[in-house]
Amino acid sequence: MRHPVVPVMLAMVFALVTTATGQEEPSGGQNTAQHQSMTPEQRAASTRALLGLGPEPDKAAAARGAPLYQKNCAFCHGPQARGATGPSLITSDEVLNDDHGERLTPFLQKGRPESGMPAFATLPLDQLRDISEFLHLQVEEVANRGTYHVLNIVVGNAPKGQAYVAARCMSCHTGDTFAHIGSKFRSAEQLQHEWIWPTRAGSSTRAATATVKTLDGATITGRATQISDFRITLVDSAGQTRVVNLEPGAEVQIKDPLAAHQEMIMTLTNDDMHNVTAYLATLK
Amino acid sequence: MKLASGACAAIATAALAGASPAVPHVSLDPNAIGKAPITSWTTFNGDYSGQRYSTLTQIAPANVNQLAQQWVFKITGVGAQRGAPVPVIKCTPLLVDGVIYITIPDHVWALDVRTGSPLWRYDWVDHGGHLVGQRGVGIWRSTVFFLTPDNWLIALNANTGRELWRRNYADARKQYFSTSAPLIVKNHVIVGVGGDAMDMPGFLDSFDPETGDLQWTWWSTPRNGDPALKTWPNEATSDHGGGMTWMPGTYDPELNLLYWPTGNTNPVFAGQGRPGANLWTEAIVALDLDTGKLKWYFQVSPHDTHDFDNTTAPILFDQVVDGKPRKLVAQAARNGFFITLDRVTGKYLVVKPYVPLDYYSGLSQEGEPIPFPDKDPTVGGSINIVNASNWPAPAYNPQTGLVYVNSVEGKAIYYLTDDSKEPSGYGGTGMSIGYSQRVLQAIDPLTGNAVWKHAYPNLNNAPTTVGPSILTTASNLLVTGDDQKNVIIYSADKGDVLWHHEVGANESGGVITYILDGKQYVLFGAGDSLYAWSLPQ
Repeated sequence: MRHPVVPVMLAMVFALVTTATGQEEPSGGQNTAQHQSMTPEQRAASTRALLGLGPEPDKAAAARGAPLYQKNCAFCHGPQARGATGPSLITSDEVLNDDHGERLTPFLQKGRPESGMPAFATLPLDQLRDISEFLHLQVEEVANRGTYHVLNIVVGNAPKGQAYVAARCMSCHTGDTFAHIGSKFRSAEQLQHEWIWPTRAGSSTRAATATVKTLDGATITGRATQISDFRITLVDSAGQTRVVNLEPGAEVQIKDPLAAHQEMIMTLTNDDMHNVTAYLATLK
Repeated sequence: MKLASGACAAIATAALAGASPAVPHVSLDPNAIGKAPITSWTTFNGDYSGQRYSTLTQIAPANVNQLAQQWVFKITGVGAQRGAPVPVIKCTPLLVDGVIYITIPDHVWALDVRTGSPLWRYDWVDHGGHLVGQRGVGIWRSTVFFLTPDNWLIALNANTGRELWRRNYADARKQYFSTSAPLIVKNHVIVGVGGDAMDMPGFLDSFDPETGDLQWTWWSTPRNGDPALKTWPNEATSDHGGGMTWMPGTYDPELNLLYWPTGNTNPVFAGQGRPGANLWTEAIVALDLDTGKLKWYFQVSPHDTHDFDNTTAPILFDQVVDGKPRKLVAQAARNGFFITLDRVTGKYLVVKPYVPLDYYSGLSQEGEPIPFPDKDPTVGGSINIVNASNWPAPAYNPQTGLVYVNSVEGKAIYYLTDDSKEPSGYGGTGMSIGYSQRVLQAIDPLTGNAVWKHAYPNLNNAPTTVGPSILTTASNLLVTGDDQKNVIIYSADKGDVLWHHEVGANESGGVITYILDGKQYVLFGAGDSLYAWSLPQ
């Protein structure tokens, strides 16, 4: 096969990421395990690359530009440049066609007097550039969802959460399960996620177990690691990995210790979720 | 963009020089586009109906266990695409006059149908845009149409890969990006667009296939005093309201109507700045082919706040209802509802959940689901379903009268990350919780009830991009796959597994079938490879 040489792409370095995306991923997949293990900077950079966003804003310049923007621009365009009496600048051509002030600063110097936007000819060039970076940062915080942060999610009523736990959880669990649970996780949303659906990986008590009866009458039991319509993989009591092809007629029984949690998820109300999280967050 | 022009013109010339003299002559009569696929596959869905149904019967339940691989074409020399370590074929191949056309973002291949050998390849150097997928080309006479991540419509000579012309229709700096396959009808190249990172309005363009001139544009949100503006707080929010058109629609030649699914509303998860139903996002719209004028709409997810991106294919079919033949359109929507409408009027017959969900209180008079406001994303988190379907194509078999869809049952916690009065962008995020399971469903479109279901066992959660596409045939076959690299053929009427085979990756694009030299083939992409299967001699 002959085909031409593909020119090397300029000015872009792409990280390999598998971040979920709006277009074709269900929104539930937004936070993958890989995504969560990244630092905030890595997350922002990988999402920037994935989305093909423009150059990264200069944060130091943007910080210098913030008070200048608030003093000179916010009255018309709003504190986050999302529009007030004047239009939003987040989707403005002048902002989006600019990389680092090369187009914006001459524009700001002239203004747009015919639409009521004054010229900022007296501001020094470096200040106009800082304002430009501030605008690019506002765009970044909208368009790059790798920069998003979950807010303070502890919004529930702790005593009500305690009552829920007493009524609904103690048939399987003891107080030991919840001891110090409020200090075990990096964030409240992780706590919320973990009490509802605990991580299975690395836990012996949460693993699913399977019993397989094959057509020749053999019974194989072990910790199931994967199953499809045609094959099951399990680890038996001797630690041996067994791959069993599932012929039609073979019987498979799976015992899942998290089954009760799955049932709970299907009917859990938002209030109960918030209340229990608020209660568990107090168990430091 | 000027720089890109020069670079790509050079590439096309090189491809021409490399083309084999034995290239078959491809020329597709516009009147043949969208006809029932037999020896060719001329549109994304095979025909204009979206049924993905083949009348071929050579491969049948009695001989399906003899299926054998004939050739494999593996993509090489492309490397990682940003966001994907290896290329993934998400297109539906087209087949015309002995040439197969496949794509991934930035690249098109023409392959010999008998061997899978490349005849030519076209490479584009993008300047921005999202490389999440590419659904395939459109073809008209001897011209192939291809959409790039940075929103260029490229016309190529179908026989040589040489570029004829190009036209840019959206600004990648505004986060518009393109993944779609153009839909060609008569003398129209219908082009949809994606991109919801930055609160831009969706649109659909129609271009002249010869000149590339713009014929019409339909905007998916209203402006200029349109009465539909009353579903938005003001014109500015409507003008930033999303509703992308990133999947190919379907078309009824008798009614001369396009049926297009429109994507999610913007800002995506934060709806507090846009009270109202937010037309015509999250809808099925019927548009006049020649003018782009809206004939009717049905909004599947009024005021969406869950990225319920309503882009799953609207399938056209006819059935007898209460003794009268009816022209119908059905969709297994991403919001978990199965919808059947009269495609002449847009009036609903069926609106019914097809996955477990509890986020709605009932239906409006027009049949639109009314969500509980309490199920919107909140700062503390709100539990709702994951998307129940997605872009991989569903199918309809006129013999069974059933619609087939690979669905996902599961839940996620949706957090509002921007609780300001005027949020922008996504404004929130979702985190799946619990077990998500893929379920193949055969749904009676006149009741919305599943006649059979097949749950795919998997101890890991179902992958976030929902299952492969589906093909059904007149010999009662249903071809699709699981999420553990198995291609599976079921009986279409009962859902019995008739055959399976493990390939190198999960089936990732559209499945097509055709007759060549008297033999029926099944062709599909899985990961970086395209597989051709048929019965032995």
